[in-house]
Amino acid sequence: MRRRAAALLFLIFGLAVPAQAHKLKVFATVEGTSVAGYAFFIGGGRPHGTPWTAKDSSGEIAGGTTDAEGRFAFTLPPAGAAGDVTVTVDTREGHIASATLSAARLGGSAAPATAMAVRTAAPTPATTDITAAVEAAVQRQVEPLLERIEELDARLRVTDIVSGIFLILGLGGMALWARGRRR
Amino acid sequence: MAHIPDGILSAPVLIGGGLLAAGGVALAVRGLDDRAIPRTAILSAAFFAGSLIAVPMGPTSIHLLLSGLMGIMLGAGAFAAVLVALALQVLLFGFGGLTTLGVNTVNIALPGVLFGMALGPAICEARAPALRALLAGAVGALSVLGTGALVALSLALSGSEYTPVASVLVATYLPLALGEAFVTATIVAFLARVQPDALRPALP
Repeated sequence: MRRRAAALLFLIFGLAVPAQAHKLKVFATVEGTSVAGYAFFIGGGRPHGTPWTAKDSSGEIAGGTTDAEGRFAFTLPPAGAAGDVTVTVDTREGHIASATLSAARLGGSAAPATAMAVRTAAPTPATTDITAAVEAAVQRQVEPLLERIEELDARLRVTDIVSGIFLILGLGGMALWARGRRR
Repeated sequence: MAHIPDGILSAPVLIGGGLLAAGGVALAVRGLDDRAIPRTAILSAAFFAGSLIAVPMGPTSIHLLLSGLMGIMLGAGAFAAVLVALALQVLLFGFGGLTTLGVNTVNIALPGVLFGMALGPAICEARAPALRALLAGAVGALSVLGTGALVALSLALSGSEYTPVASVLVATYLPLALGEAFVTATIVAFLARVQPDALRPALP
């Protein structure tokens, strides 16, 4: 009888497991001087109307609440960010997640411009325009890839779930065996 | 929500939670006998898998805890069940954190154990199925609310900038408490029909 109850429990969870999971993550991309992204729960769902803040090493540079799709966006300060920028989303009931944009990614538009300045002495407006256009095009192409990578990284794998369940049952078996030996 | 990640709580809260969890687990291990081991393993597996299923809910997403059910069926053994399942969740999926393992174990298991031990005998004695389901539902709902309160308390005690807001807590934990009450009542009603002994942590 108890076995039947256990089987029922497993059936309930076995059917539903691949559906959803539970962990907040933040995805952010940089385009020129603007940063945009969203927060999401692994497996599905976006936190609506949740406060977020962006900080660099000198302190808070932006903040607000996410929209209905969990999105946020802000512009970097004109002087540029000091070091890495960390975007933190806090649902105010225990879910906190953050994403860090390294200084190298943020300087994306500035660095090539200075590199070019060395070569051509004075960048014409045309070259900076081209740099910006290339920057934007690459960003547009790469963004879905970055999103996909983040998604894959965060996926709940059925094999992991199954191995977790059987690890627990195995632990139970080991405990029983150890007790049997002691007798 | 009950899986607090690393790097948010302060050291005293982490250490206090760790000590409480160690005490709870020691109590659980002492009571592990041939009857309790498979029950603990099965409920631990159920909690492990069950709390991976989350439902998006406005600003957050919620998942079952089954802590009330574990409290009714295992008594203090729930500490061991929760610890093992949480350890696997952080190792396999990165839910919660290794340093917060103790705090999270206490937050989830303690309310279930307390309410399960308080109302468990009444659930076993109850003659009317409706009364039994009502009591079981109460244990499920109260355990979830207790977990919410403990999570809020651990965040508030850490004095971090992430102290939960009461209105958000109520908005997320109330629906979860209702869902949990329903699930706990259903499982307890089923077990009482097919295997009433399953509801006793230890046989008399």
